Amino acid sequence: MKTAKIGNYAIAFLIILSLNFLLPRMMPGDPLTAICGEEALVEMTPELRTELMHRFALDEPLWKQFFVYLAGIVHGDFGYSYYYNAPVLEVILEALPWTLLLLGSSLILSTLLSIIMGIESGWRRGRNSDKSLLTATMVMNGFPNFFIGIILLLLFGVYLGFLPLQGAKTPYSGLSGLNLLLDIARHLVLPLTALTLSQIPSSYLLMRNTMITTLKEPFVLTAKAKGLSEASVRYKHAGRNAILPIVTTTGVRVGIIVTGALFIEMIFSYPGVGLLIYNSLFMRDYPILQGAFFIVTVFVIVANFIVDSLYTKIDPRIEIEEVEHAH
Amino acid sequence: MHINYWKELKKNTFGKIGLAMLILVVIIAGSFPLLARYDPGEPSHSALKPPSSEHWLGTNDVGQDIWSRLVYGARNSLLVALGVGLFTTLLGTVAGASAALVGGLYERIMMRMVDALIAIPAFIVIILVAAYVLPNVWALIFLISILTWQGGARIVRAQTLSLKERMHVYAARAFGAKKLYITTRHIIPELGPILFAVFIHSATRGVFMEAGLAFLGIADISTVSWGLMMHYALKYYYLEVWKWWLLPTGLALSVTIMAFVFIGHAFETAMDPRLRVMERKDWQC
Repeated sequence: MKTAKIGNYAIAFLIILSLNFLLPRMMPGDPLTAICGEEALVEMTPELRTELMHRFALDEPLWKQFFVYLAGIVHGDFGYSYYYNAPVLEVILEALPWTLLLLGSSLILSTLLSIIMGIESGWRRGRNSDKSLLTATMVMNGFPNFFIGIILLLLFGVYLGFLPLQGAKTPYSGLSGLNLLLDIARHLVLPLTALTLSQIPSSYLLMRNTMITTLKEPFVLTAKAKGLSEASVRYKHAGRNAILPIVTTTGVRVGIIVTGALFIEMIFSYPGVGLLIYNSLFMRDYPILQGAFFIVTVFVIVANFIVDSLYTKIDPRIEIEEVEHAH
Repeated sequence: MHINYWKELKKNTFGKIGLAMLILVVIIAGSFPLLARYDPGEPSHSALKPPSSEHWLGTNDVGQDIWSRLVYGARNSLLVALGVGLFTTLLGTVAGASAALVGGLYERIMMRMVDALIAIPAFIVIILVAAYVLPNVWALIFLISILTWQGGARIVRAQTLSLKERMHVYAARAFGAKKLYITTRHIIPELGPILFAVFIHSATRGVFMEAGLAFLGIADISTVSWGLMMHYALKYYYLEVWKWWLLPTGLALSVTIMAFVFIGHAFETAMDPRLRVMERKDWQC
């Protein structure tokens, strides 16, 4: 890992940090409302006002405010939501597991499906099965993720009634053990399907392209000439070598999938961070909005960072290419 | 790169269908006074009415004519597509090409900025900023462009660097051509196909992001936006009104995005495949 790369992520983090700090303070009107949310106005007394002004150092110069803000973040203090009547971090941590469940399962599922679809499609390039898969995916690529979610909601809400449309589990059901897991899985099906369907097209197209290029390489011919089985050439030799772009774009895909989850959670009322952000937009609950925004963006930056530092280990050729590229 | 791109585009099935869909949307947007019989913002007393000869797609919850809003909404989406497409391409070109041509410290600072911005999930940042400033359509075009030019800049820089090394550019330099002459006569014209690809890609993203923001409720309520229509229609999905309110609006939006995706795909298939823009970086980000 070169220091230049670490520098990039440090800059990205700094941009996020300053944006999060400056945005509410630059808005016209009362900065206290922009920091504490509109719900806080209901409870606002002159005493509370002075106390809050002091806590965020709003009567001090901007650079001092920034240090107070930084100190808060370092201590895990993201402010207090007057809407939920709870610390922001607590509210977010409660929603986070659901989002991680949805994101994680969708990332794995969409990656696996698009790799298999891409390998098969690239192998059969030009044949009918390839053409119809390509067409279907291209059409799906034109559907914004939230419309895919809406179509599923309508389909299952109006015609097929056997899957739950809302929430992450049945409320007050008293389920436990295996039944609880099954209940959670049933609630996960629709959001997971919607999110996965919206993620597949771009990864599939990338995988198919790389597969087509890889199949032209001499080593594939060698493998065929050695008399290896078709499946072995397709998956072990060509497929494994064509996977790399999918791996290197994982960081970018995490960013896309996080945004997708925001829409999907809103449509299916899935109680994750996305729904939290949507509700905070609606309620003008700025502390939650800011805290969730901060955690989500930092999560994406860290994911990018991890992928970036891992994939040179998977394929050392990348590091060499990048050094060459820089000159 | 002596390819007739227009011809290639027309040869490709996706290209043909994409062009046809885009032309359809442009015609609908252009002839809205003929097609829309009502003021799209005018509420009436007949709310949530099913389709009839008076209201082809019925009325929404405040009695506005849905068909008129659907037709009018095409203008908004196309305006954002054009605005974001042009502005993002301009920013990306200026940043990328100047980095490649000037070089040195300027190039390093520029590319460092690009690399840092690429790690940030742009759409999430746009949502946060838009939630605070509640931009009108022009501010939104500016906001989306200023946060998404980095991908284009990287591609334009790479292409400019490779153009600089081409034989005919060396020849021009050997004949004594000045830097400005080479830039305007050789580099910029040959960037054309790449810039078109970046434009299509940015336009797609613009349409999607505007609709997405409005769908989340972050929009000026006076704008007639497909995303905003879907935002309100979703609240009534359990009633029958989705058939003429939610579904046609979503389909109109999808057809518009699909038109751009198809054109971009066809165009990039004709282009040097190593320079694919769209399939490397998703327009959803």
